[in-house]
Amino acid sequence: MIGERWTAYWFVLPGTFLLLAILGFPAIASIVDSFGSVGSGGFGSAYLALLSDQRFLTASFNTALFVVCVVTLHIILGLAVALLLNADIPFKWFFRVVALLPWTVPDVIGGLIFRFMLDPLSGGVNAIAFRLQLMQGPYDWLGDPGWAMFSVIMAETWRGYPYPMLILLAGLQAIPKEQYEAAAIDGAGRWAIFTNVTLPNLMPMVLIAVVLDAIWQCRLFGMIFGMTNGGPGDATQNLSLFVYRQYFQFFETTYAASAAVVLAAVLLAVAIPYIRSTLREKS
Amino acid sequence: MFTRKNKNLAMGAAVLMASVSMGVQTVSAEDITITYSDWQLAQEGWGNSLRTAIAEFEELNPGITVATEPVQLGQRDVRFTTAIRAGQGPDVFALDANPVRQYISAGWVLDLTPFAEAQDPAFFDDFYETSLAPVTVDGAVYGVPMNTVAMGLVYNQAMFEAAGITEPATSWEEFSAHAEALTDTSAGQWATTLVLAPAGFDLRAPSIFHSFGASFLTEDWSASALDTPEMQAAFSYVVDMIQSGVVPPGVTQVDANGARRLLANGQIAMTIGTTWTIPEVSTMNPDLDGWNTLRIAPLPTDGGQEISPHTTLYQKSIFINANTEHPEASWALVDFLTQRAQMERWFDDNNMLSSRRSVNESYGPIQESPFASVVSEEIQHGTFLPLIPEWPRILDSFRQNLQDAVTGTKTAEQALADAHAETNEILGN
Repeated sequence: MIGERWTAYWFVLPGTFLLLAILGFPAIASIVDSFGSVGSGGFGSAYLALLSDQRFLTASFNTALFVVCVVTLHIILGLAVALLLNADIPFKWFFRVVALLPWTVPDVIGGLIFRFMLDPLSGGVNAIAFRLQLMQGPYDWLGDPGWAMFSVIMAETWRGYPYPMLILLAGLQAIPKEQYEAAAIDGAGRWAIFTNVTLPNLMPMVLIAVVLDAIWQCRLFGMIFGMTNGGPGDATQNLSLFVYRQYFQFFETTYAASAAVVLAAVLLAVAIPYIRSTLREKS
Repeated sequence: MFTRKNKNLAMGAAVLMASVSMGVQTVSAEDITITYSDWQLAQEGWGNSLRTAIAEFEELNPGITVATEPVQLGQRDVRFTTAIRAGQGPDVFALDANPVRQYISAGWVLDLTPFAEAQDPAFFDDFYETSLAPVTVDGAVYGVPMNTVAMGLVYNQAMFEAAGITEPATSWEEFSAHAEALTDTSAGQWATTLVLAPAGFDLRAPSIFHSFGASFLTEDWSASALDTPEMQAAFSYVVDMIQSGVVPPGVTQVDANGARRLLANGQIAMTIGTTWTIPEVSTMNPDLDGWNTLRIAPLPTDGGQEISPHTTLYQKSIFINANTEHPEASWALVDFLTQRAQMERWFDDNNMLSSRRSVNESYGPIQESPFASVVSEEIQHGTFLPLIPEWPRILDSFRQNLQDAVTGTKTAEQALADAHAETNEILGN
C-alpha cells in the first residue's frame, strides 16, 4: 500500500533531519568556507595556496607515514594478541581485560605519559638505558626529528592496537570450527592451518580493521599534540594538528577549512573499500 | 559600644565613602550575572587575587554577580574564539597582546572609548602610551591595559657566586663565557635554557633577537626583516649556544613553565623572565628561597652596546565581548579591575607591574623592590611584537625554523632563509 510505504518515511524523517543538522550543516559550512579567498586570491585560492605550502605538504607526508606505520603495526600486533586470546588458556578473561587497557587511556593523556617517559632529564627511558650502560648521557628522544616520529608511532601503536585486535578477535571467533577440524584430519600443520584457514576467513575483518583504523589514525590529534606538539620543527606535525593551528592559533578559518576538506576527501577515499564491501554484503 | 546594626551601618558607610573617594563607578541595575574569564584564574596565586578583587566588586555593585571562568592559557583562544563566533563567550575577558589585533579586526570585542570618555575624558591619560598601542586601532581603544612588564635576565645569585661570577653579563659575548663557567653536566647543572615550545616562546626568544638590534619585520610591518645582518648574527648565536651544550637536553620541548621549573630545581642558573618569575619559581621550590636568591638584570646586548628596544614587552589587557548583553556592568568590572588600588594589590600579591604610570612611579613597594625597579626601567627599552593579524603564523614559522636549526635538520643559514621566505609569503609579498 502506498500509504504504508510513506508512513515509513515519516518515521525516519526526524532522525534524518537530526543527522543532517549535526553532520550535514557543519560539513556544508566548512566546504562553503573553504572556497573563500585567502590573501589577495579569489574563489578557491585557499586550495591553490595549500599546494604550494611546504608546511601542508610536510604534514601530509607525515600523516601518510604515520598512518601506514601505525596501521601496519596495529594489524600485526592486534592479530598476534587476538590469536593468543582466542586460544584456550587459563584466566582468558583476565588477559582480555589487560590487553584492552591501553585503549582506555585518552589519547592526549597517552601522549603526555610518553612525553614524561621520554623526558631527557627525568624520564624513565633514559634512566633505564643509563643504568644498563647503553648510553653515556641523557638523550633527547623527542628533540631528534627521526626519533620523535618513531616515538609517536610506537606510542600510538601501544595505545591503539586493542581496537583492531577486537575486530580481529571477533573475526577469529566467527571462523567455523569444522574448517579447523577438516584441516587437522587432512594433516595440515599449524602454519598451514593459519595460512589456509585462518587468514582467508579473516581477510574481510582485516580489511574492515585496516580501513577503520586508517581513518582513525588520519584524524589523530591528541596523542601528537600531547607528546610533541608537532615538533621538533614540524617533524611530527600531521594534518589534524595543521588544521588546528590554522584555525585556533592563526585564526585562518578559510585556510583551515580547505585543509580539513582535503583531509575529509582523503578519508572518504580510504573509506570507499569498506563502504563497497558493506554494500556488497547487504546485496 | 557599637551594636551589630551600627557596625553594619558603619561598614556600609565606609564602603560607600571608599567608593566615592576612589572614584569607583557603581552600577545600579537589576540582578544580573556577568562572566569573567582569565587564564590567571587557573593559577593559584593570581587566581586568589582576582577572586578577592571580584568579591570586592560584587560588594560595591550589589546588583551584579560575576561568575568566574578559569581557562588554561593554551586553550584560551580556542575557547574564546569558538564561543564568540557562536554568539556566546564570557562578557569580560583578559588577553595578552599577541592575539589582540585578530580579536579587534574580527569584531569580537567592543570599542571601550565611549565608556571611558563618558566616565572621564582623561581616562586613558595615566596609561603608558606604549601600553595603549596594542589595544588601539584608528583612535578607538578596545581594551584597558592592566599589567605591562618587560623581559629581563633572571638569575640565581648563589650559583653565580659559586662559579665566581660577580655581575650578570652585559654583552652576549660575556654571557657565553658565564654560560661555560656555570655549566657542569656531571652535576646535572647547566647555564640556561631557552623556551622553544609554543607556550612562552613569544616573549622570551624574541627578546634575544631584539637585544642584537634585530627586528622580525620592517618598520611598517609589511615585509620580513629576517635577512638583516643583526638577525643573522642573533640567529647563529642562539643556535650555537644551544648546540654548545650549555643548555639541558630537551630544549625543543621546554615551555615557559618548564624553564621556571629548571630554575627552581637549580638545574639552570639563569633564564629569560620577569617580575612574575620570582613568585612562580619560589612557589615551585620554597627551599630555593627565591625572593633572596634570584635577581633580575637587563638582558645582555650585542657587544654590550646601548640598543633600544632590546627586550620584549608583555601586556595583559581586559576586554568586553561584543556579544555581551550587559555592556554597562561589564564596563564597571573592567574599570574596577584596572583601577590604581587594584594595581597596587596586584603588585603586592603577584609582583606584577601596572600599565598605569602613576602606580609604577609612585607606589612605595614598587620603588623599593630590586626586581620591579629593574623591570620598570626596562619597559622604556621594550617593544611589543608586531601587531598584525598575520603575526601568530609568522612567529610559529620562525619558531619551527629555529627548531629545525637547533636539531640540525637545517643549517642556521638555511633555516633563517626559509623563515624569511615564509614570512614574506604569509604577508603576501
